[in-house]
Amino acid sequence: MTGKKTDTAAGRYPGYDVLERMDEWDSHTREIVRERLGPFPNRRILTEREWAYLSIIAGHLVYDNRADIIEWIVSHCDRKLADETGEGERKKGVPPEKFLIREGLKAMDHAAQLSYGSEFGALDINQQFQMLADLQMGKAAHIPQWSMVPQKALFNKLVSEMVSAYYSHPTIWSEIGYGGPMYPQIYVRIEEGLTEPWEAGANGK
Amino acid sequence: MENRDYVKHNCDHYSGHRYAHMNNRKYGSKEVDVCIVGAGAAGSVLACELSRAGLEVVVIEAGPFWNPQSDFASDELAMQKLAWNDTRVVDGRDPLSMGHNNSGRGVGGGTVHFTGVFYRFHESDFRTRSIDGVGEDWPISYQDLEPYYRKIEWDIRVSGPRYFPWGAFHGPYPYPERVPISANAQVFRRGCAALGIRSTVAPLAILSAPFDGRPPCTNRGFCNQGCMPNAKYSALIHHIPRAIGYGAEILSDSMVTRVLTDKSGERVTGVEFVHDGQTYRQEARLIIISAFAVETPRLLLNSATSRHPGGLANSSGLVGKYIMPHTGHDIYARFDDEIRFYKGTPVLAVSQEFYETDPQRGFARGYTFNAHGSRPVSMAKTLASGAGIWGKQLREIMIDFNFYARVTLVGEVLPAPDNMVTLSEEKDEYGLPRALVNFSYGENDNKMIGHGVAMANEILRAAGGRPAFVVPDTAHLHGGCRMGSDPQKSVVNRFCQSHDIPNLYICDASVFVTSGGANPTETVMAIAARTADHLIDSMNKGRPQREPVSTAGYSS
Ligand SMILES: Cc1cc2nc3c(=O)[nH]c(=O)nc-3n(C[C@H](O)[C@H](O)[C@H](O)COP(=O)(O)OP(=O)(O)OC[C@H]3O[C@@H](n4cnc5c(N)ncnc54)[C@H](O)[C@@H]3O)c2cc1C
Ligand code: SF4
Repeated sequence: MTGKKTDTAAGRYPGYDVLERMDEWDSHTREIVRERLGPFPNRRILTEREWAYLSIIAGHLVYDNRADIIEWIVSHCDRKLADETGEGERKKGVPPEKFLIREGLKAMDHAAQLSYGSEFGALDINQQFQMLADLQMGKAAHIPQWSMVPQKALFNKLVSEMVSAYYSHPTIWSEIGYGGPMYPQIYVRIEEGLTEPWEAGANGK
Repeated sequence: MENRDYVKHNCDHYSGHRYAHMNNRKYGSKEVDVCIVGAGAAGSVLACELSRAGLEVVVIEAGPFWNPQSDFASDELAMQKLAWNDTRVVDGRDPLSMGHNNSGRGVGGGTVHFTGVFYRFHESDFRTRSIDGVGEDWPISYQDLEPYYRKIEWDIRVSGPRYFPWGAFHGPYPYPERVPISANAQVFRRGCAALGIRSTVAPLAILSAPFDGRPPCTNRGFCNQGCMPNAKYSALIHHIPRAIGYGAEILSDSMVTRVLTDKSGERVTGVEFVHDGQTYRQEARLIIISAFAVETPRLLLNSATSRHPGGLANSSGLVGKYIMPHTGHDIYARFDDEIRFYKGTPVLAVSQEFYETDPQRGFARGYTFNAHGSRPVSMAKTLASGAGIWGKQLREIMIDFNFYARVTLVGEVLPAPDNMVTLSEEKDEYGLPRALVNFSYGENDNKMIGHGVAMANEILRAAGGRPAFVVPDTAHLHGGCRMGSDPQKSVVNRFCQSHDIPNLYICDASVFVTSGGANPTETVMAIAARTADHLIDSMNKGRPQREPVSTAGYSS
């Protein structure tokens, strides 16, 4: 992916790194967050091709192309699908998430063939974006597979998981000036205009 | 959904004993007085009160017995494990989001990751049919619950404002109101003041001063991830340890799959449960189902017999019907200065100015506003899945994360028979049909949402914000086994006893007749405390109570 996404990547708080306070966190939280920095476990359930596709999609959905962060996102998806902890809820008529994503990725290739004459992975970036936008609206090229893997459900599953993982990455926390984990330390300055000495500086300064 | 955490949990707990197996049961081969299904808000209060009165109690809970220090973390993603994640099939025009948004799983139930906003219902909530011609009247009144509201507030030291302007109860609360309040709460109160709308500091099941070896809140803001300092009430750290102290046995990681009846079908005799792939039985003189508004109906429906072909306690055909969430719409505004709404207890200021029916608004009943902080995952995820924002636009919004304030609209949803829990075709890992949860907002609900969203935007604008986006959502769940006096129109009576089977009780959020316009858990717990009193009277064991029960100044 090309030159996009660099302007926002620095964020408002260039000197702020939430990881600097990592030693203050409780050990359980520290362990959980450290895992997001890699190295990541081997693929558990995704095929190589699925992994590559989810990486492309993740980059577009969260609008970022930093390889380490994308790898964390896809690794999170891999673990989630392998764990089978349950989906909380699933709309009637939508297949279980593993099937939805697996078959959904294949269907995206078919639809891409119809619309653009090549597989999703071989489309240019604008076409890939457009396809994702079409999925969100349920407007991708008409193919029978969509009756088994509803487009909107596929899009929603991908976007919820990937966005959740992205905003769980400490680099992103630093960029948006989020205080991050907070225990056993405490906040005493919670009112308007007040910040703790270790927090990101007020209004990015 | 067996627990696969790396932390090993015990599954059998009673005073002085904890085991990771079922071989040393306290009451294993015995018919106990009471078996409670679900160790959530209601089940835990029942367990505590009934065992304190000398009854033999076994509580069976599907999820783990959490240890806040080693199981909880300051992390949104990882703490989704506190939810009931087992898949529910959802349908309707407004399919519910379940999981972390809706229900807990594990000892403490929903109270482990709830926000701790703690309201009494208003007097009018129990009589909406008589007063407003909507919904249905409850078979109990506010006055019936009043002593139990008071008791619960004292038992867990609710903190709240010196004067609470709305409803029948104006304070004071046992513990002083929280100071300071967060920037997000300040902004909300400022907006309200500018418009002449009354607001207060939130009444909270969160300590403002030490109690019972627990510290006051440290404002870390992770209430929905489980409170690590134990400043927030949860049944896990309050009622369950007490119940154990009074002699109860708690089985965790144990999923009840069936309620058993005798041959005649006139009495329940026990339950069947699965732990670690093994099926066990617990016999009891009396069974209380406290498994929340989805699993309670599901368990009753899944326990059908030839004598009860439509499921237990279901001669009315109403088991599973009339479920009601609250509206949970999140209204965001962008400010020029930082708010940093990740800091502080998420809800620290509220208003119930729009709670009661106002005929001029064109809809019945009303709502509560909670000034409601957020964290990155919850904000970004709901923007993506609820408001359809992703890619560059989402990234740009989230770069300004610190500049948003948020208000949540907790609105009353009227009961409708088509909003219901039934059984789907799909089976879960125990071979039981999954719940199918159908929900659509009605006309009155949608009018109320329109009003509430517009009003929240006005408040935020008056505080200097620019309305940014509204994320449609729901919160909480009630109904499915409504209480009533008429066995044809309700599932349980005013004491939560099923009309059909005298020794089968149902006591949790599912007995609600209407949803009220405020967070429900204080009412869930008050109903449980009242049911406990009734059972202690009626079971009349003649055993001495272990502690005198007084009506004022409860100390536990
Ligand atoms: C994110 C969130 C925030 C909330 N914030 C607030 C708030 O601020 N204020 C408020 O008043 N309320 C709040 N609530 C709502 C509150 O959590 C519920 O109202 C309350 O927990 C309901 O109590 P209950 O006893 O009916 O069920 P629960 O507390 O859900 O307990 C039910 C228990 O039964 C167990 N169970 C279910 N089926 C079985 C089975 N078959 N076998 C064994 N065990 C079983 C479950 O695992 C669970 O532990 C919030 C809820 C959520 C999810
Ligand atoms: S804000 Fe307070 S109550 Fe909530 S988790 Fe933090 S310490 Fe606990």
